[in-house]
Amino acid sequence: MTWLKGAEGRAPFDAALGLRPELRELYAAFYGKLWDDDLLPASLLELCRLRVAQLHDCESELAVRHTEAGVSDEQVAALADWPGSDLFSEQERAALTLAEKMPWQHHDLTDEEYAELNGHFGESGVVALTIGVALFDANCRLRLAFGTEPAPVEAPAPASSEGPIY
Amino acid sequence: MSTKPRVSSAIPGEAPSFGTALAHQPGLAGAFGMLYGTFWSKGALDHRTKEVTRMRNARVTDCGY
Repeated sequence: MTWLKGAEGRAPFDAALGLRPELRELYAAFYGKLWDDDLLPASLLELCRLRVAQLHDCESELAVRHTEAGVSDEQVAALADWPGSDLFSEQERAALTLAEKMPWQHHDLTDEEYAELNGHFGESGVVALTIGVALFDANCRLRLAFGTEPAPVEAPAPASSEGPIY
Repeated sequence: MSTKPRVSSAIPGEAPSFGTALAHQPGLAGAFGMLYGTFWSKGALDHRTKEVTRMRNARVTDCGY
């Protein structure tokens, strides 16, 4: 049970962030910009977001699904064992390698793995992806620290700087 | 951990750094700067508390930068 009492009428995580309205707005703008500007495929971001949430065992983050991100139920079911699955492209596998290591093994990411990311996404793309995975990691840490209760939601569109935070 | 920068500087004439790496994505860098700057310049916590937690977090994550 969360120990924070946030703003009424919002999803629990948004309500907690809403206790600091100015920071909440800027956080939403930062997080939403990752999705709004088509910097990377939404499906790629969604896969990384869910994998990072799995690694954190963060039920609150896992309860959120962006149904229009283009990730299939089969991919979600296979995500915990993605290295052994043939449902993910080479580009997705490179991104998931980053997602796999950022939360708990960030020192173990190799130059070779980062070079492969560069090959798939280019330097600006890999910067966007690294920021994105760091944000997904931060989301889970915030939710777990706040004790945010899971609130299942299927948000049709991925996150946006204009909308609520789920 | 890598011993050399993996991302080049996006700002001509400047050495690779956290800021010049983020500059590859100006929109994200700007949004991050607004959030981080506001966290430091305003809010309910004093600067000492913020700095102590920042430094402790860097130690825990073994981030020498």
